[in-house]
Formats: sequence, C-alpha cells, structure tokens
Amino acid sequence: MSEALIRHEPVSETPFVAEGVRISLAPPMQRHALRARNAEDLESLLQIKIPRKIGTSQGGIMCLGPDEWYLRSAMGTAVPPGEGLPLAVTDISERSICFIVEGPRASEILMAGCPLDLDQFAVGRATRTIYETVEIIVMRDAEDRFHVEVWRSFAAWLWMAMTSAARH
Amino acid sequence: MILIHCPYCDEKRPEIEFANAGQAHIARPLDPSGQSDADWEAYLFIRANPRGRHHERWRHTHGCGRFFNAVRDTVTDKFETTYKAGEPRR
Repeated sequence: MSEALIRHEPVSETPFVAEGVRISLAPPMQRHALRARNAEDLESLLQIKIPRKIGTSQGGIMCLGPDEWYLRSAMGTAVPPGEGLPLAVTDISERSICFIVEGPRASEILMAGCPLDLDQFAVGRATRTIYETVEIIVMRDAEDRFHVEVWRSFAAWLWMAMTSAARH
Repeated sequence: MILIHCPYCDEKRPEIEFANAGQAHIARPLDPSGQSDADWEAYLFIRANPRGRHHERWRHTHGCGRFFNAVRDTVTDKFETTYKAGEPRR
C-alpha cells in the first residue's frame, strides 16, 4: 500500500557538496526499535548476532541502551514481530530519516554541533547523542563516512545547520 | 563542558546529553493511604539542599536513556562518582 504513496522528504534529495564534505539523504529504509531484557531473546527471534556493548553496532543493529537496540534494514526485509515473547519489536521506519555525511571534513562538520569527540569515535561505533539541540543517532560507517539518523520533523533544521557548518 | 561518567555506557559523556532528576534514594511509601499528611508532604515535597556532597538522580537522556545516581558536590559542581540505579548509596 505505502509503495503507491508519494514520498515527500523534508530536505532536498540533491546532495549538498562543499569542499571536503558531501551531505546526502539516504534512500528509504526500514527501522525497528527492539526492546528486550535479554539480548538472547532477540537473537533467537531474529537469528542474528546482536551487539552487547552500548554504543556499538553490528550487522545493521545498533546497541543504544542496556535493553534497547535499533535495527536498520533494506525495504521489504521481513522482521518477525515476536508475539508472545518478552520483547517488543516496533516498526519506526518513518520516524527518522538518515543523512550520510562523507568526506575528509565529515567529522569536523558533525563536531560543529555535536559535543562528542568524533575523531576518537571508532568505525562501527553508534550512539544516540545531540547536535546543538536536536537529538540524533550517529554511526561511523567508515573512516570518512557517518550516518546521522534524525527525527523527520527536525530534519529540515539539521540539514540547514550542517550545510551552514560545511560552508565555513 | 563537564564530562559525566555514565555507568551504563561506561564512558564519560558531555554534560548536555544529561538531565538532572532531583534528589536520589527517595523511596515511595509502600502504603500511601496509611501515611499521615505530614509524612506524605515530606515524601512529596521536602528535599535536602546541602552545601557540598549531594546524592542526585541523573538521566542520560540523549544517550542510553537510563536513570542513574550520582554524588555531586554542589559547591564545586564536581562529580565524585556515579553508579547504576538500584545500587546502594555511596
């Protein structure tokens, strides 16, 4: 059903390019919030390994808190709801959109508003944090590429803030 | 910027990711209707306001989202220690 609807993204679908940095909108994807006391319950449901240390990611799953994970997958991937199990799997695909910030100045642009020391942020790490006043999830995908997940309603402002930082 | 050690994330994180949530170690009476008005008032409203070492609840709002307890000096604003919710008072 939803495939028949027209998507309206809150920011430009044309990438922003400045010296040393490129900011673009990631294609639509599925996102799920996974909550469980025991990570083993989620592993047996999803049949994949999930990271245990808060602030790390593995195979598309980020560990955000002691009982909270964030799963991102390609559109159309089946994610079992886990009925009857002591866990919660919630589809939040349209809650956020993802910016891809890449290039040699990527960490500098993010650190213009994010108080974490992203130069010390290892590849594969992922955490919820803040950019100026907007809550984001940052994941370091590669040495010079970050994924920034942001709530849809904050996205236009974040885009404006990051592209202005990139112009300087 | 102050760095606060989150006992769940097990690392020092910037202050603006956190929110203060008042005095720590205040247990809700098990039998509220058996309380006198004075006791109930004390539970609801009366809080310590020490000059110096203070036990506080903090929440790592823009991080793991967890509440934890901290011992902070109200004069120097220095965090002496932080520990997980449910652990004994330090």
